[in-house]
Amino acid sequence: MNDRRTILVRYDEIGLKGKNRDHFINRLVKNIQMLLIDLEGLEFRVPHGRIFIHCSKESADECILRLQKIPGIASSSVGVTRKPEFDALAAVGVEWIEPLLQPNKTFKFCVRTNRADKSYPYKSPEIDREVGSRILGQLHSQGLEVSIKDADFTLEIEIGQDETVVFYNRVPGLRGLPVGSSGDILGLISGGIDSPVALYRLMKRGCRAHGIFFDNRPFMGRGGYDKVLKLSKLLNRYQLNSRLFVVPFEDIQVAIRDNCRPAHRVVLYRRMMYRIAQAVARQKGCLALATGESVGQVASQTLENLNAVSQVVDLSVFRPLIGMNKQEIINEAKELGSYEISIEPHPDCCSVFMPARPATRAKIADLEVDETKFPWESLMQEAIEKMECVELDDLTV
Amino acid sequence: MIYLDNAATTPMDPEVIEVVQESMRNDFANSGTVYSLGLDTRKKIELAEEQIRNSLLIPQNYRIIFTSGGTESNNLFIKGYGFPDKKMAYLGLEHPSITQTLESFRELGNKPVSLLSYQKEGRLDGSAVTQLKKEKVRLLCLSHVNNELGSVNDPVPLLSALAEHSPQTRLFLDGVQAVGKVKLLPDMWRGLAGYSISGHKLNGPKGIGLLVFDGKLDLKPQIHGGQQQHRIRSGTLPVPLILGLAHAIKRAVEKTDEIMKNSKLLFQHLTAGLKNLSEVIPELNIRFNSSLSDNVSIQSPSIVNFRFVPVEGEVMLHHLEEKGIYVGLGSACSAHSKEPSKVLTGIGLTPEDARCSLRISFGHQNTIADIDAFLEAFGEAYRQLYSTFNRKVTHQ
Repeated sequence: MNDRRTILVRYDEIGLKGKNRDHFINRLVKNIQMLLIDLEGLEFRVPHGRIFIHCSKESADECILRLQKIPGIASSSVGVTRKPEFDALAAVGVEWIEPLLQPNKTFKFCVRTNRADKSYPYKSPEIDREVGSRILGQLHSQGLEVSIKDADFTLEIEIGQDETVVFYNRVPGLRGLPVGSSGDILGLISGGIDSPVALYRLMKRGCRAHGIFFDNRPFMGRGGYDKVLKLSKLLNRYQLNSRLFVVPFEDIQVAIRDNCRPAHRVVLYRRMMYRIAQAVARQKGCLALATGESVGQVASQTLENLNAVSQVVDLSVFRPLIGMNKQEIINEAKELGSYEISIEPHPDCCSVFMPARPATRAKIADLEVDETKFPWESLMQEAIEKMECVELDDLTV
Repeated sequence: MIYLDNAATTPMDPEVIEVVQESMRNDFANSGTVYSLGLDTRKKIELAEEQIRNSLLIPQNYRIIFTSGGTESNNLFIKGYGFPDKKMAYLGLEHPSITQTLESFRELGNKPVSLLSYQKEGRLDGSAVTQLKKEKVRLLCLSHVNNELGSVNDPVPLLSALAEHSPQTRLFLDGVQAVGKVKLLPDMWRGLAGYSISGHKLNGPKGIGLLVFDGKLDLKPQIHGGQQQHRIRSGTLPVPLILGLAHAIKRAVEKTDEIMKNSKLLFQHLTAGLKNLSEVIPELNIRFNSSLSDNVSIQSPSIVNFRFVPVEGEVMLHHLEEKGIYVGLGSACSAHSKEPSKVLTGIGLTPEDARCSLRISFGHQNTIADIDAFLEAFGEAYRQLYSTFNRKVTHQ
């Protein structure tokens, strides 16, 4: 019995969801189960909206590590399940605190109880006092003191109807909503720093974010594709069940390069990407598009050009980074773990396709004239037909 | 698959794989230990070293140090010899493991001397010796065979010129692209300060190379530890890789004549084929960046570098890759890294010329049929790409 651990998972915003609460909790539990599926001997319990995972002492650390990657969790703690008896609860405290004491030094602790089971005959402060005094009685001579304000160690007790858990460490989670609770979206992903961060932000709002990548082969090598695949697999670790759609884009780029005004190229490429993304989103049941654009970051992200690309689609386009500074985005990319992959030196566009001076304020009417100069509908159809779909759960890809 | 990038790396010789595998199974003992199991592996390393000496005709007064490859060998020698204030010079067209190692001495106030103004088709012109004397250069670092161009710095006449006009200057050569491709003459060792070799460039394993240097020189150790290899490069020796390297060198040297003969044939076939394509395709204008000389003391027959403005080399490379043909590149075409090859711009090409270049490098496995397949695929891809790259048709 001593080898068993109980992990207490606290969810974040689900508590606010009123009648839909069960739906959100079930989604979160399913996501947790999926991400812990290969760990043996796990037992899930969800009594009265609380999430408990029973596991072996050995797998507890791995569980906690993975729980940090699951959107929707406020924090989680490893503890042990005990009978709600003061002596038994205090014994756990003594076991944990004693090794932390040092000769001739004081060490401060406190006990905090959350009494979810209101039928339990003692109130929280009484439990704190009873358990605390028992621990102090045994360890006072070794320098242990009580301090509610600046404790070095807080022993927490959660008293539920079916189960009482003692724990001491809250490991923060990603917060937000469980992936899938809001629906599926399709994100335009390149090998750069921004798009993975944009998708990560939306995943934390409950979206399952699939990716769409516009592949420059054979002008550029497979390096760009491999990089996007690596980024997508990293994102998939936070959500599972996501896909990467790879669209061959070279024929479209060549057509625009050969037939349209050089200054308009970049905006024209992006209008085609948006159109294709919308068609794929509709085909795959995604309810919105997402991009890593941020106002004014590059020539294609001026207000005029953002407007010129948005105008070709009806679906909502989410741009979670729109008001962020580059350094803020980089900091989030580092936190996510995508930064190191994004800065790997793989060209994402051949310089032959880049104009010397891209238009920063392209006029929609002019773009439309350019678009009469190449058969974009048929090229788009062809690209979608040749699209490759990568299931990101597949560990062999 | 047609592999024409043998200056980047080469496939391993099946015989070498056998040697490495067998040694991995049997020779696990640490060669630094004193019991017989360890002494046995030590003996194998000594025999391998002897075999390398015999294959490359290395005199006994030269020391051999096993390294992880050419880059480490170049670092080990230059840093070990030059630190902190020996004046050193280079042509500026060498592999970055030489140029950047020398550049790192700037921080110590020891700026290397560039001899780029003395380059001729990628080689150092003999007239540079007066400059070396004037600048009191103690070490001249060059490629034996340039990795992008195949141009050869012939050590024997260079050593005599140095002995006569600038005797205080020693010569260090990066031989990574030379062994097995051009013949090493025993005279080369007379006066040479050091020479580096890499296993994987001669059908041997990756992760192993050699530094050969004049035993009279006192190299400052770079890798400290258990004091292996004359205390210059500590670390437990990788017996299987060393045995594999010795075998690969033996095979490469034995076959050098045959490889050179085959490479010359391919070289002529390729250069003639490219000239012919230039005539057949009106918009194609081939220019050779490397020398067309058939004199192996001027040009390695294993490397051909050429340009075909306006189509970019990297785009051509990927179009050839689609057809299973792998070639080499000196410079990148990425929108982010617009830096063209320093070697190509160093010999006077414009950045655009440099970006529109490819390097073909032969291995002993290549045949005339490979070259024909390359020429056909190249011509086809060029026709396809020309209009996209021809800036004159750009719509305004």
